[in-house]
Amino acid sequence: MNRKQERAELLQGTLDLLVLKAVSLGKLHGYGILLRIEQISGKALTIEQGALYPALYRLERQDLLDTEWGVSDNNRRAKYYTLTRAGRSRLQKEQQSWSRLVGAISAALAAEPTEA
Amino acid sequence: MAGFLHWKSLRRRKQFEAEMREEFAFHREARIEHFISEGWTREEAIRLARLEFGGTERYREECREAHRVHLLDEVGRDLRYALRGIRKNPGFAIAAIVSLALGIGMNTVVFSVFESLLLRPLPIANPDQVVFVETQSGITHSFPNYREFRDNTSRFNGLAGYRMSPMNLETKGDPQRIWGYLATGNYFDLLGVKPALGRFFHPEDDRKVGASPYAVLSYNTWKARFASDAGIVGKRVRINGLTYDVLGVAPEGFHGTELFYWPEVWVPMMMQPQIEAGNAWLDNKYTWDTTILGRLKPGVTAAQGEADLNRVANDLAHRFPESDQGLRIKLSQVGLAGSAGRAPVRVFVGGLLLLVTVVLLTACLNLAGLLLARSSDRQHEMAIRSSIGAGSGRIMRQVLTESSLLSVLGGLMGLAIAAALCGLLSKWHAPVDFPVRVDVSPDWRVFLFAGLASLATGILFGLGPAVSLSKTDLNSVLKGGAGRAVLKSRLRVSFRDLLVAAEIALCFVLVFGSLLSIQGLKNVLNMPLGFNPEDVTTIAFDVGLPAYDKAQGQAFQRAILEKVQELPGVVSAAYANSVPLSMDQSTTGVQAEGETRQRGRNAKHANFYQISPGFLSTFGVSLLNGRDFDEHDTEGTPLVAVVNQAFGKIILHTDNPVGKTFRWGPGGGPRVQVIGLVQDGKYTSLTESPTPVVFWPIYQQYNSTTTLVVRSHRLSSEIVTDVRRLIGTMDSRLPVYGAGSLNTMLGFALFPMHAAAVALSAFGLLAIVLAVTGIHGLVAYAVSRRTREIGIRVAIGATGFEVLRFVLAKMMALVIIGIVIGISLALAAGQALSSVVYGASPKDPVLLLAVFVALLLAATVSCWRPTARALRIDPVSALRYE
Repeated sequence: MNRKQERAELLQGTLDLLVLKAVSLGKLHGYGILLRIEQISGKALTIEQGALYPALYRLERQDLLDTEWGVSDNNRRAKYYTLTRAGRSRLQKEQQSWSRLVGAISAALAAEPTEA
Repeated sequence: MAGFLHWKSLRRRKQFEAEMREEFAFHREARIEHFISEGWTREEAIRLARLEFGGTERYREECREAHRVHLLDEVGRDLRYALRGIRKNPGFAIAAIVSLALGIGMNTVVFSVFESLLLRPLPIANPDQVVFVETQSGITHSFPNYREFRDNTSRFNGLAGYRMSPMNLETKGDPQRIWGYLATGNYFDLLGVKPALGRFFHPEDDRKVGASPYAVLSYNTWKARFASDAGIVGKRVRINGLTYDVLGVAPEGFHGTELFYWPEVWVPMMMQPQIEAGNAWLDNKYTWDTTILGRLKPGVTAAQGEADLNRVANDLAHRFPESDQGLRIKLSQVGLAGSAGRAPVRVFVGGLLLLVTVVLLTACLNLAGLLLARSSDRQHEMAIRSSIGAGSGRIMRQVLTESSLLSVLGGLMGLAIAAALCGLLSKWHAPVDFPVRVDVSPDWRVFLFAGLASLATGILFGLGPAVSLSKTDLNSVLKGGAGRAVLKSRLRVSFRDLLVAAEIALCFVLVFGSLLSIQGLKNVLNMPLGFNPEDVTTIAFDVGLPAYDKAQGQAFQRAILEKVQELPGVVSAAYANSVPLSMDQSTTGVQAEGETRQRGRNAKHANFYQISPGFLSTFGVSLLNGRDFDEHDTEGTPLVAVVNQAFGKIILHTDNPVGKTFRWGPGGGPRVQVIGLVQDGKYTSLTESPTPVVFWPIYQQYNSTTTLVVRSHRLSSEIVTDVRRLIGTMDSRLPVYGAGSLNTMLGFALFPMHAAAVALSAFGLLAIVLAVTGIHGLVAYAVSRRTREIGIRVAIGATGFEVLRFVLAKMMALVIIGIVIGISLALAAGQALSSVVYGASPKDPVLLLAVFVALLLAATVSCWRPTARALRIDPVSALRYE
């Protein structure tokens, strides 16, 4: 059970970043966010779709996302998410630290064995 | 916005849920449309969308958690959930709540008694400076000695003397026998109380004997007898035939310094000769009727005060060896008639407190056992909850909420029980002619105590099951192997075992204790009293109260006796100053002829009664040798006495004292000849050791206090009515008190033992109820845990008997272990009890066996239902069930 939780933590962090990024490009409802993530990641990242919502609720609770009810393209009531100012600065920070992490890991993986 | 939403979810949780559902539905619909547009059939589209989305319920739970609903809301949900659980399983809840209510209720009652008797300060200024002055042998002093102490001490701000005294209060011509205080002038100033109305008397009001006919009324008396008359101050009342000015009214709740005694009126001490007509003792060094209170100067310790008074006492012993030789002073706390009263009260209340703590502990063990048992039913449910994403903290909180809810409900009910019992206790008047009252109105400390006790119980004993549940191993439970997983865990099994054994042991002690005390009471009831109370009625009055002189009093006593003897159905009648086992007991100094004089406080004493001829036969006292008094034993004839066997042995050192003489009175008085010997009896208390007693002829020694004793087969109440009517025709101002059958009056002497027996029986019964519910819960738990196992056993051919053995063997072993522990505890406790309970032996094998059988029976009864369930287990459904 513990191990499972740790893994979920890792996934959550990444998912949060992706959600923030997707919403930063424009107002979206939940399903739209999913499609946007699929689109911008070139369908390379697949997530279980339900897992999106706990992330959305969490981000909303942290005041990183704002919500309002609106009407969707096919004329149905849907809940729309936008990025708050706090959300925008968080996205920036997360993006930077992600880049640093990726850079460091890439460098580490690119290292050649020098001594056997 | 988020804050707003947050608030909304707090206020309208339903809306949150609806919106979440709508959002999820929107997602699903959009996805289904997407798949249909890709060419899938609708059915397949629905299936694919559901597959992609994952566990809806799990994500809902995660959303709720992510949204982190406000704590209060969570608690609300937990509470609703807990209430639903209680509704679904009322038997469990009722058992838990009732056992807690009883445990907490009993504790609260006993704690209120403890608090009001031993913790609550008296309603006087700086109560910790006020001390009770007693001697090594008693609580009273002679009034001359009081003056000596008062005038010669330097360590006290003051010493006040007082005396409980019966008085005849006339209001509107209706005589009432009441109890009051004679108090020295500095009494109220020393205690530092402020009057509710008017003023108190002061030292200058108490200087000359008989010159201060003033009265201060108690608040209750002012309310009850004078209808809260605002203009009472300055009005006059008649007490013992004299007119007294009402000076003021004491504040509400003030009743002097004795916790049990509620006097109605205070009169200055200098009125003593008027109040106790015919027995003036203000200047008598041999009448020790004054009780002394002292207020220590600030900074002076009790030890210093005591040393200072002993300096005075040494001086007194030196100057007045006849009366004061050997006098030692001891200071003690005020409130319970000195250390003599405080010690037994403390032992009694302390013992009760210990007992109810044991009861509460049993109730707690019970709750723990029940929660454990219940948690077994819920393991499956909890596993599901945790698998759909409820965190372990959530589950613990849920279980704790439930146990706290139970304990709070139990606590509230307990408090209601306690309040009701305390109310009864405060209203209760002892069946005696004495203003005894116990004020146990529970105050905030008691409520705090009950609240803390119930919450602590809930949390402490909910925690174990909560932790064990939150650690539930999902996989094994869902696979149906939980029973085995739990059973393998040795620690948990032994904890449950411990609960059963401990509960049985405690139960054994309680039941044993209650039976022991009941047996003690029976012993006391069967004990020879030395007289025969059947068919005897007593009626008391005091011809001193209408201020008769000796000749008038004697004439009245004889006249009334003659008339009573002529009443229809009266076998015989006589009178005495007092009778054995009544409240009013007197002693006198006596000394064998030729023995070295023992003086002062070292002299030998005997209880005495002044009786009319025929009293012994009327009262049913057997004359063993010699003769009873007759009409010729009057003033002017030689002094004679009838004594009991103990008097012969202890004072005269002979088995047949008839014909012997002894000296009567302090320091060797006149010579008295013994003319009769009667059997020993009980005089002051039922548990006393043989006490020397001397009977004097009342024709030789007048006493205005009169107790008529009438032997008749008619109803006691009829006799009382007849005698009251006779007295009314002779003097309508004479109040009658203490009228009733002798057996009723003896109720007072038996009261402490009755109270102890009733309390202990209640606790014993309670313990059995608790044990039955507790064992039932645990056996039910064991059976439900092992349904699968039993099913397998039945499937492979186990007989009913084998199932029975399988279910009960361990439980019975635990019960026996508990009983063995209980026996050893009971033997230890019984040792302590046997000093309180008369003639009860804690090693009585019959008693031990009785408790053993009773408990075994109780255990069997409580195992009955779950065992029957185990026997009905159908292997097929049992295996499918898990």
